[in-house]
Amino acid sequence: MNLPSTFFEWVGFLLDKYGALFLRGTGITMLVALSGTVIGFLIGLLVAIVRTIPLPHGHWARRLPLRAVHFLLNVYVEVFRGTPMIVQSMVIYYGAMQIGIRMPVLLAAILIVSINTGAYMAEIIRGGIISVDKGQKEAAVAIGMTHWQSMVNVVLPQAVRNIMPSIGNEFVVNIKDSSVLNVISVGELFFMSKSAAGTYMRYFEVFFITACIYLVLTFTVTRILRLLEKKMDGKANYTIYGSQSDSKSSIRVNEEEEEE
Amino acid sequence: MPILEIKHLEKSFGDHQVLKDISFDVSKGDVTCIIGSSGSGKSTLLRCINFLEEPTSGTILYHGKNAATEWKKTEYNSKVGMVFQSFNLFGNMTALQNCVVGQQKVLSRNKADAEKQALRFLEKVGMAEYRNARPAQLSGGQKQRVAIARALCMDPEILLFDEPTSALDPEMVGEVLNVMKDLAAAGMTMLIVTHEMSFARDVASRILFMDGGVIVEDESPAVLFTAPKQPRTQEFLRRVLERQL
Ligand SMILES: Nc1ncnc2c1ncn2[C@@H]1O[C@H](COP(=O)(O)OP(=O)(O)OP(=O)(O)O)[C@@H](O)[C@H]1O
Ligand SMILES: [Mg+2]
Repeated sequence: MNLPSTFFEWVGFLLDKYGALFLRGTGITMLVALSGTVIGFLIGLLVAIVRTIPLPHGHWARRLPLRAVHFLLNVYVEVFRGTPMIVQSMVIYYGAMQIGIRMPVLLAAILIVSINTGAYMAEIIRGGIISVDKGQKEAAVAIGMTHWQSMVNVVLPQAVRNIMPSIGNEFVVNIKDSSVLNVISVGELFFMSKSAAGTYMRYFEVFFITACIYLVLTFTVTRILRLLEKKMDGKANYTIYGSQSDSKSSIRVNEEEEEE
Repeated sequence: MPILEIKHLEKSFGDHQVLKDISFDVSKGDVTCIIGSSGSGKSTLLRCINFLEEPTSGTILYHGKNAATEWKKTEYNSKVGMVFQSFNLFGNMTALQNCVVGQQKVLSRNKADAEKQALRFLEKVGMAEYRNARPAQLSGGQKQRVAIARALCMDPEILLFDEPTSALDPEMVGEVLNVMKDLAAAGMTMLIVTHEMSFARDVASRILFMDGGVIVEDESPAVLFTAPKQPRTQEFLRRVLERQL
């Protein structure tokens, strides 16, 4: 058999031979990173909302249940932010096995990334909530909204907009860091690359390709999220209505498009 | 019968007592202005009335029923509206949405009715043209007028104003005060903390002068501005009026 001799020949050869493998790995990496980020975001949202419920007034015993929940949530956040995800995956996957639960690795992978991301998101979202002027929350309560209604309608939309860059960052981190899941044999991009490299012992060429794929993924995701942010900011102009009945007399007002 | 009765209201932050034994009634159509120097507890009083701050002791009766225990908090809050010094419009919504969201979520009105009501009040405060503008695109006076419309949309029985013009540039104060004058003329019951003495004199049916967490004097504007009884009131008015009138 005629093997390639130069670097580029090897790259072409490996792409040709293992293209499908790279594609599968990329797909799984994106699946794990995306679902992990979305589920992690939802976990973080829930944790952050619960953490901001005002403590009830009156006897201390009425505050006890909420205090206990807050304590448990703090433990969750500290533990998952304070240990590496590679260790968490070992503990969770083999721990579950020890108590008789054999999780499909893909499910385990999504679970681990979600829980891990949730801990970071909880802190990020808490920061976002704090960034929204608390007068707006008071105004919402003052017209009769409940804590939940004011959070969902007023505070969180603005909090989430403010933390979009951090959420995007978490997504990018997850695309890259899902590679540690190869320790529990999840067929993501890094794992697939390792098996592709093994056959011909061409580690440099294979991981050069792998690096390029990761870069394309993270770059694309960053751009898409930037666009999404722009969209969330809403229109930079608004319409002044001359009178209620005559919409033709309306004037459009354009603001200076702000650039970062 | 008064609609709102404040009885022996007290409020402390830690061991700092800010409100001491505050009692007064508000009847339908009353325009009550609260004046007093900075730190005398005016904002705290308004915030206790709609439970943005939990009173330390005392009771608030609304239509004869205890507001803290016999009324549902959200219902009571929708009946007692509030306009803030810093407007506090919802930044993620247009002027119209600011006026609609409470009606939909709290009063369960449908969208069409809520928008009709919102436009009616935006029209009243002269902001209907700006219905699609976001708070960041409005001037201070415009924001405050939208905030008043937002409060009115809930069909409140009483409106609380906490220095509604203090954060405004001088040329915008008039537009907001005019809206409030119209409301007073239309019979709206209002409780207004203000530093605008000429407004208080012209519009109020009654003035409360607060100092050090107590109501020092409770009089009609005619009496309070011309013949205040308490030395503390006299001193305060002398200081303020020589600057303002
Ligand atoms: N959340 C709080 N925690 C602790 N102290 C507070 C708090 N809010 C107000 N105070 C204190 O209560 C006192 C009264 O404050 P308040 O804001 O009610 O005064 P005010 O009459 O509205 O003054 P101004 O005219 O400056 O608005 C002040 O001494 C203030 O420091
Ligand atoms: Mg104040």
